[in-house]
Amino acid sequence: MFGAHCALLALLAGAAVSTVQAAPQEFAIDPAHTHVHWEIKHFGTSTSRGRFDAVSGGITLDRAARSGSASLTIATGSISTGFAPFDGLLRGPYLLSTTEFPSAYFVAQRFSFDGDKLSAVTGDFTLRNVGKTLTLRALNFACRQDTEPAREVCGGDFETEFERSAFGITHSLPFVADRVRVLIQIEAVRQ
Amino acid sequence: MTKTLLACLLAAGTVAAHAEATTYAIDPSHTFVTFEANHMGTSTLRGRFDKKEGSVVLDKAAKSGKAEITIDATSIDTGVAALDTHLKSKDFFNAAEFGTAKFTADKFAFTGDKVSEVVGTLTLLGKTQPVTLKASNFNCYVNPMLKREVCGGDFETTITRTQYGMSYGLAYGLPDNIHLLIQIEAVKQ
Repeated sequence: MFGAHCALLALLAGAAVSTVQAAPQEFAIDPAHTHVHWEIKHFGTSTSRGRFDAVSGGITLDRAARSGSASLTIATGSISTGFAPFDGLLRGPYLLSTTEFPSAYFVAQRFSFDGDKLSAVTGDFTLRNVGKTLTLRALNFACRQDTEPAREVCGGDFETEFERSAFGITHSLPFVADRVRVLIQIEAVRQ
Repeated sequence: MTKTLLACLLAAGTVAAHAEATTYAIDPSHTFVTFEANHMGTSTLRGRFDKKEGSVVLDKAAKSGKAEITIDATSIDTGVAALDTHLKSKDFFNAAEFGTAKFTADKFAFTGDKVSEVVGTLTLLGKTQPVTLKASNFNCYVNPMLKREVCGGDFETTITRTQYGMSYGLAYGLPDNIHLLIQIEAVKQ
């Protein structure tokens, strides 16, 4: 009797573990709703904005185990400010050197949750071949069920800041600020 | 005598105040209207208008101002070509019929020496509605490349798009309230 009870417990425990293990789900970035936007102060006056249009990658999310991983590749040449001469300058050797460094990467292994809600994502950000640990704060993270096409979409807004000089980008300092605010829109479709 | 002196002083004062009114032309490389809209309760969709022109008249002594900015509706840019095409269509901006949106302001509020609010109207889809822009970071500086004074800052407001007759997608969960983030820098003429 005691043995059977233990066996049942073990079985239940095993089932629980396998449920958690079965929970990781793969999501692919939806490029139409994934953009990396940035903001930088110009002459201590107004905020200049730009974005990277080509972002690809995938996310693994385990909502039961409250864990996840993400891998994003940002095509640096897809920078867009709305003013072509700036885009040319930003792609050039003084700033992003997009020919030499065509991609920036964010690879995250640590997803933090506040209750059921994703609150932060920590990973390695590589820009111009310089890698730094970066934490993205998650805002508005949610999953929804689309009907047309029928699919689950998870996403939200993520934000962080960094000093561009840490990645060797010092052109126009101090007239254009060192601090860059990054706002990331991400939506990803369950595979 | 006193009355005449007062009138003269007032007249002089008026002349001085008028003399302070300076015209600034919008710097298109540092002037953008960016909009933010929540997408289906999940993420924030952003877009901007790339072409615009206009001018600002600022009287720092009298703490008053005027602004007129025209935005080319066809220059909408979200980074997703299919979305830009849809936004330019009759469902949203109807850019073929209404090629421009216009912001006109004639009331500038100041906190100390800084512009804190700009009150005016926005004309979109042929409809004109009152709009108040909240200013932050207002500042004037001498640009070392232009060797001229530049004034500008960040401005924001939230508009209700149905007030302009733009109601597409409300039933699918696209929001009625659209947040506008406006960067303005203008060069002294």
